[in-house]
Amino acid sequence: MHAVRCVNVRRVYKQGDEDVVGLDGVSLEVEEGGFVCLRSPSGGGKTTLLNVMGGLDRPDSGEVWVAGERIDTLSKGQLAHMRLHQIGFVFQAYNLIPVLTARENVEFVMQVQGVPTAERRKRSLEILSEVGLDGLEDRRPAKMSGGQQQRVAVARAIVSNPAIVLADEPTANLDSNTASHLMELFVELNQHHGTTFVIATHDQMVMGYARRLIRMRDGKLVEDIEQEAA
Amino acid sequence: MGTAAIVLRLAWRNLWRNFRRTTIMLAAVVVGVWAMIFMIALMRGMVDDMLLDGIRSLPGHVQIHHPNFRDDPTVNNLLPSPDEDLIAALDRPDVVAWSSRVRVPAVVMSERSSRGVTLVGIDPAAEAAISFVADDMAEGRFLEGPEDPGLILGRRLVERLETEVGKRVVVMTQDPDNEIADRGFRIIGVYEAQVASTEEAYAFAGRDTLQAMLGIGDQVSEIAVLGLDYRAVERLYQRIDAAAGDRAEVLPWNELDRYLSGMLGMMDGFVLVWIVVIFLALSFGLVNTLVMAVFERVREIGLMMALGMKPGVILGQIVAESLMLLGIGLFFGNVLAWVSIQPLKGGIDISVVSDGMEMMGVGNVLTPSLRAGDMALATVVVLVLGFLASLSPAVRASRYHPVEAITKA
Amino acid sequence: MSITLRLAWRNIWRQPRRTWLTTGAMVFSNILLVFLISIQLGSYRMMIDNTLAPLTGHLQVQYEGYKDDQQIRQVVPAIRGFAADIRRGLGLTSVAARGAAFALVSSEDRTYGVQVIGVEPEFEPLVSTLPGLVKEGRYLDDAAAPEVVIGTVLAGNLKVQLGDELTLLGSGRDGSFAAAIVSIVGIFDSGMVALDRSFAEMPLEFFQDTFAMEGAGHNVVINAPDLFAVTTVQQQAQALLPEAQDLIVYHWDDLLPGLQQAIQADLASAWFMYGVLVILVAFSVLNTQLMSVLERTREFGIVMSLGLTPGRLGWLVILETTMLGLLGLGLGIFLGGLVTAWFAVNGFTYPGLDEMAVQFNLPDRIFPDLNAISLLVGPVIVFVASLVAAVYPAARLHWLQPVQAMRVA
Repeated sequence: MHAVRCVNVRRVYKQGDEDVVGLDGVSLEVEEGGFVCLRSPSGGGKTTLLNVMGGLDRPDSGEVWVAGERIDTLSKGQLAHMRLHQIGFVFQAYNLIPVLTARENVEFVMQVQGVPTAERRKRSLEILSEVGLDGLEDRRPAKMSGGQQQRVAVARAIVSNPAIVLADEPTANLDSNTASHLMELFVELNQHHGTTFVIATHDQMVMGYARRLIRMRDGKLVEDIEQEAA
Repeated sequence: MGTAAIVLRLAWRNLWRNFRRTTIMLAAVVVGVWAMIFMIALMRGMVDDMLLDGIRSLPGHVQIHHPNFRDDPTVNNLLPSPDEDLIAALDRPDVVAWSSRVRVPAVVMSERSSRGVTLVGIDPAAEAAISFVADDMAEGRFLEGPEDPGLILGRRLVERLETEVGKRVVVMTQDPDNEIADRGFRIIGVYEAQVASTEEAYAFAGRDTLQAMLGIGDQVSEIAVLGLDYRAVERLYQRIDAAAGDRAEVLPWNELDRYLSGMLGMMDGFVLVWIVVIFLALSFGLVNTLVMAVFERVREIGLMMALGMKPGVILGQIVAESLMLLGIGLFFGNVLAWVSIQPLKGGIDISVVSDGMEMMGVGNVLTPSLRAGDMALATVVVLVLGFLASLSPAVRASRYHPVEAITKA
Repeated sequence: MSITLRLAWRNIWRQPRRTWLTTGAMVFSNILLVFLISIQLGSYRMMIDNTLAPLTGHLQVQYEGYKDDQQIRQVVPAIRGFAADIRRGLGLTSVAARGAAFALVSSEDRTYGVQVIGVEPEFEPLVSTLPGLVKEGRYLDDAAAPEVVIGTVLAGNLKVQLGDELTLLGSGRDGSFAAAIVSIVGIFDSGMVALDRSFAEMPLEFFQDTFAMEGAGHNVVINAPDLFAVTTVQQQAQALLPEAQDLIVYHWDDLLPGLQQAIQADLASAWFMYGVLVILVAFSVLNTQLMSVLERTREFGIVMSLGLTPGRLGWLVILETTMLGLLGLGLGIFLGGLVTAWFAVNGFTYPGLDEMAVQFNLPDRIFPDLNAISLLVGPVIVFVASLVAAVYPAARLHWLQPVQAMRVA
């Protein structure tokens, strides 16, 4: 089963008075455990593709499948359910709820999922430790560095073992050192947990970590190569 | 002068930056101002009616009577007919009308029943300008002169006595020698009053007729004087007091009927309190809105200061925003109040609680009274308090340091 | 503890000043509401009690039609036995028989028309406070003695003292001349001019002899143990009435319709004012919560991408508003209770109150009546209104699209 699969997906949206073609007949498959980078120039479609894969946006035509389930026909409520259990997101910035601590941010999702208190407390501490934030569990985002905040976001994304983690330019606000540490974390999680990663970026350094690199332009896939990860 | 124009323009545009927030606050102000003025108009209408009715139903604005008359309102405490000095004092432009009367307790007996009343002997021509009776005749006719031998009773009394216009009744009262004086009268007319209990309390006859019946010559019980405005009786009262001399007691209406004057004072107090209370309820939201607006614009304020705008000007801008908001709200609130009162000008029928209203001395119809003075008062109070309320966020804004403000995240 | 609860609580405090100002609006209104409602409820009860206590009582059995026509021939036959039957039937001693007639009362110097009431001296004190208000002399004690008690104003007007004799002149039930000479054994001072000036009480048997009543009377007064029991007692008494005599048990509301209506009218105007306050607070909460939601648009977008539904987010907003509302509720009840309790002990007055007080039989200092209802009604309504105000901001989230939300600056 593929982690995510798109079949001839089209997405057109309005910008002002004009129609912009976000995705123009995109088809691709990502196998489970994959580590994929999407690159495109700004406006090229990578964010739109990520949103469509993650059920945040509905394609105008085509099919989208996640973990063997077709998601482009699901209702909003069902999509939310998918995002809660099967899909994890990491954004460029503002990932966390500012009034909750690191641990609470992670536990929040589990509470919504219905995980009992003792278990979610245990899992959140474990996952935070795994991403290297021991001792910082009770800090609020404002008191953490950019890199630390992103780690919390990652922790939250993977704590419920989603089928796929979608990251949209996760290193854009970080300095190069922190950025590479974050990428190493991604790789580690991918290897230990087998979680599929799809990362949108235009940072060369990030692309170096990918085993598969997909290039997009004007809403179309133009290149799809396997490579040796760095 | 240029600064003022810029400040005003900035204030106006900033007001509308967050359209939704400003609109909600505006809606609140409009509702508050409407409620202020609407309620005040209703209450004023009620009190005005009460006062006018109370004043019309006999006391006049100023009354002259024997010093003991108030405690012992009988035939033993009479005034001589007014002398020249008094007549001269009463013949001035600030006296709209005056009338002398005889007033004694009496019993009216019909074939079936008898009742105690206050019998008032009047000169119909003079009296018509002062008291209510001539206007409220429902049946029959009014008295035609002070020697008219007829009797005028209130509707309720006629019902209680089980009699009617045209029938005869006997009126019994006491003369100065404590003998019973009685006389037959024909009922020539029936009146209806706004406050029904008045109808049972007062009966009217010709003054000269009554004087003859009692054998008191041309003495009278009281002289009622109507001035120009019931709210400004002081000067009139003083002048008449001087002219009447020691043998008479002169009193203005507000001392004769403490209930009515108490109402007036309470009404004025109520108006102010109501305005302030509503404003205070609004003020929390108002300050909140301003604080939020300032908070959102910290960097911009820092920028303006860096560009050379003085703190005082920043303060002025915030205050201007607040006053503009209130100004618009006041305008629409006043208009809405005026619009909502117009259809009610004919009076609201409150006869469902008519007996209760009677207890309070109010009639069956509540007519709102929208006064420019009240609207002005509301406007001024709201603007002044609004100015004060906006000072805190405005001062705070003016105290920002440009550098800190600009770099604030 | 639930993260959601923690989140809601902390969200409120993101902008502490804003939260305090909104809470301030709620607390201000709540304090006012608790205070005013306490005063209202206390005043109403006192008004009713004080108005009914001297003479009217809670219930009266009368001949049908007597209430409106007040004719001496509309009697309750064999009234003393009848009253005794009612006493037995209800198991209450606070039942007293009376007769009433109009008469001319003459002293040596003066004559006045008064309402004469024949009472049962041993039972009257149980239904009326008048016996207790005798300031000089004593109340009546002998059912047949030619004695009378009168009010101080009447005594003053008649120029009489304790021990003086008065002549009574009226007409009896059969239309014949009714006359009697009585001596004054007591003078009462109720503080109500109407009572003190126009009523005289004498023993029922003597009354019946004088006015040729043939054992009949006009009303049987029944007092229930408290105001709340009146309707029940009314039904019980109605069941005890003999058939075919056209007797009715009247509730005090039928006897004094003005009282209940005056209270209702006052309530209506008060509710209008309270309503305005509540609406203004609701506006405040609406504005605050709307701003709070709009500020977090991007954050909500991200949270939705985590899998939260708009419904859940809406629920969060409602939760936040509930906490805010509870803050206002709790503080409002506490401070409102405190302020009102202080006045409950020390009393409260405002200009114009003394004149009003006389008219409505109230003391001239008001003591608010703080109880569970007056403490909770206002604040609870404010709380509910705040929740209602939150519906719009919460509902708006229904249309929130995560992608657009996250694009918000």
